[in-house]
Amino acid sequence: MRKWFFVFGAMIVVASLTILPGAFARPSADPGVTAKTITLGGTFPLSGPVSSYAPIASGMKAYFSYVNARRSTVDRKRGVYGRQIVWKFVDDAYNPAQTVQITRQLVEQEKVFALVGGLGTEHQIAVREYLNQQKVPQIFVSTGASTFGRDYGQYPWTIGWQPDYVSEGSIYGKYIAANQPTAKIAILFQNDDYGKDYIEGLEKGLGSRQNLIVARQGFEVTAPSVASQIATLRASGAETLMIFATPPKTIQTYAIMARLGWKPDNIYLNSVSATDAFLSLAVQSAGAAAVNGSISTSYNKDPANAKWDNDAGMKLYRQIMAKYLPNARATDGLYLYGMAKAHSTVQALYLAGKTPTRAGLQRAVARLNYKDNPFLLPGIVTKTSGTDRFPISQLRLIRFNNGTWTEFGSLLAGR
Amino acid sequence: MGRLRALQLAGLGLVALVVALLPRFMTDFRAFQFAFVGIYFIALVGLNILTGYSGQISLGHGAFMGLGAYTTAILSTRYDIRDLWTIPLAGLVAGVVGFLFGFPALRLSGVYLALATFAIPVALISLAKRFEELTGGGGGLILSLPVAPFGLDTTPSRWLYYLTWGIGAVLFAAAWLLLRGRTGRAFRAVRDSEIAAAASGVNLAVFKTLAFGISAFYAGVAGSLLAIAVAFVNPDTFPISLSILLLTGVVVGGLGSLSGIVFGALFIQFVPLNASDISMQAPSVVYGVILLLVLFLLPGGAAGLLRRLLHPLTTRLYRRLNVGGGSVATTLRRGT
Repeated sequence: MRKWFFVFGAMIVVASLTILPGAFARPSADPGVTAKTITLGGTFPLSGPVSSYAPIASGMKAYFSYVNARRSTVDRKRGVYGRQIVWKFVDDAYNPAQTVQITRQLVEQEKVFALVGGLGTEHQIAVREYLNQQKVPQIFVSTGASTFGRDYGQYPWTIGWQPDYVSEGSIYGKYIAANQPTAKIAILFQNDDYGKDYIEGLEKGLGSRQNLIVARQGFEVTAPSVASQIATLRASGAETLMIFATPPKTIQTYAIMARLGWKPDNIYLNSVSATDAFLSLAVQSAGAAAVNGSISTSYNKDPANAKWDNDAGMKLYRQIMAKYLPNARATDGLYLYGMAKAHSTVQALYLAGKTPTRAGLQRAVARLNYKDNPFLLPGIVTKTSGTDRFPISQLRLIRFNNGTWTEFGSLLAGR
Repeated sequence: MGRLRALQLAGLGLVALVVALLPRFMTDFRAFQFAFVGIYFIALVGLNILTGYSGQISLGHGAFMGLGAYTTAILSTRYDIRDLWTIPLAGLVAGVVGFLFGFPALRLSGVYLALATFAIPVALISLAKRFEELTGGGGGLILSLPVAPFGLDTTPSRWLYYLTWGIGAVLFAAAWLLLRGRTGRAFRAVRDSEIAAAASGVNLAVFKTLAFGISAFYAGVAGSLLAIAVAFVNPDTFPISLSILLLTGVVVGGLGSLSGIVFGALFIQFVPLNASDISMQAPSVVYGVILLLVLFLLPGGAAGLLRRLLHPLTTRLYRRLNVGGGSVATTLRRGT
């Protein structure tokens, strides 16, 4: 009988020993900052259904490693004001329940200074309330949902980064209003916040010319086909088609239009689908004639496009890739996206000052104003203010022709 | 026998005491993590009733959790019902659906049943996205962050810990009582041989559907608690992989035994999370390797290991208690 108690006693001791050390962790005013380091965290889908986004976190890591190794032009020190950036990115398998747990782990256990670049609209919404309650900066989230820039009054510790879907939509609207005043616009959109953000932007951009829209058809994310929607849009007599969808449905749309023999004069598709890879698939299923001439927008340089070969920013990108990610496919634009985001992060850290605090970083991301991000298109200014929490809102129109996207026109402001 | 029962109760009491006192030695975050262990614990107890005791495989338990979670989320966000009161309702909703699913399952067994149950999570994801007005679609539902009710002076994480383990203890005791009596015997008879069970007068249809219903009830309660703890529900929260994870949890804990369940729950909570610490590139490979090792080294799961470790101890004990050496194995099996 006594032995039973020994066994349980031993179990209790072992359990306490494994759990106790954390109990004595000393709380400090602003966690994550020491004299030598500054610790940042982020959650990404490294496994699961959308693990193809994982290069973003690696790209950020590569750029932070580069910053930690180079000597700054500001003070000749490595890192940011002599502090090495420690980058803790963790897998949430694209599951919000995991995002919540891991975010708490990063904040409470790993004591990160701030969360940077967390990926996924729903996932970042799931942790937003908690992070704002804890007053932990949730900066440069990897999603274009407009709520992250719009709702700063309610969530002052949260900010997005890339042009939001409303901005992008408004650029299409402005361009059409100026260049195709007699257009008849048909819209195919994913029937949720994502698609509706785009329509809101388009209407805003069209301004007084909203009557140009002659038809709109929504589809459910789960719908297997958009054929009936496309038939309806075609019957409206529109000659300009807006596709506000995710890549698979966009590719499908091209295929269905080719089958129906419908070729609108102008096709606009949102930037999410506008990569060489996706459009090549569309060409395969619908033919080059159906896809050539499609218009979209972009804000970063395309590492797959040879026109940037002599560009200093692209050279830096390739140099960092060669050194820190030698085996990665450097033409994948997501690595560049991660580096561009890491570049903004480093800028914000400098702006937060030599003794960074969470409140200081929060103020810094609300007064960004710099234009030399080497990975973005020339001239793009990353800018925020007390009333503007959309860091990047400028875009350039791009047109697809025979396998590549080419910028045209000048830089346009989405907001 | 009386002393033996007393001893078992003392052991259980001691475990309960450990569980109750543990948060005192934990950081807030650890308490939060162990609240999730409690949630998985409840789901695994339920799944073990189905798979371990009545011998029916389910690859759909993640979806029953999802049903419970959506019940709680919809009731608390759309109808302003306090999350605490939605927990039994969530269990009931999942339980009824599980019970109904038991009927088609009657005609299936083995791999066929596993595949049929696999359809539940697949359907749930599309249904949740389809009825957007109710479920919030892909964007999901945001619940308010958990806080301790009735002005209790404790942090939200600790409150969640006590809530899940409190409910877990009650449901564990209920399962224990259920399985050691007539119902449990009927379940095991069905598992071991349906023909023999039917010949001895066990109504197969009743007990097989009952197992599904009870098991889904447990999953529903677990899902409800998950929704409360995460404070967010969308279809991505209940991926198909969750159902598979739960089944691995039961196998790791030990099929047909309640004593190892807590280890299965610990496995589900910590191994996938920490796999990415070992290898950033391929967390799922690390997870797979660990799972294989567990299955090879502990074929009976954690419960089997416990039994082996305690065997010399208990043999002497039983002999002293005069239970009789020959029946030790059977007594043990009945006891655990």
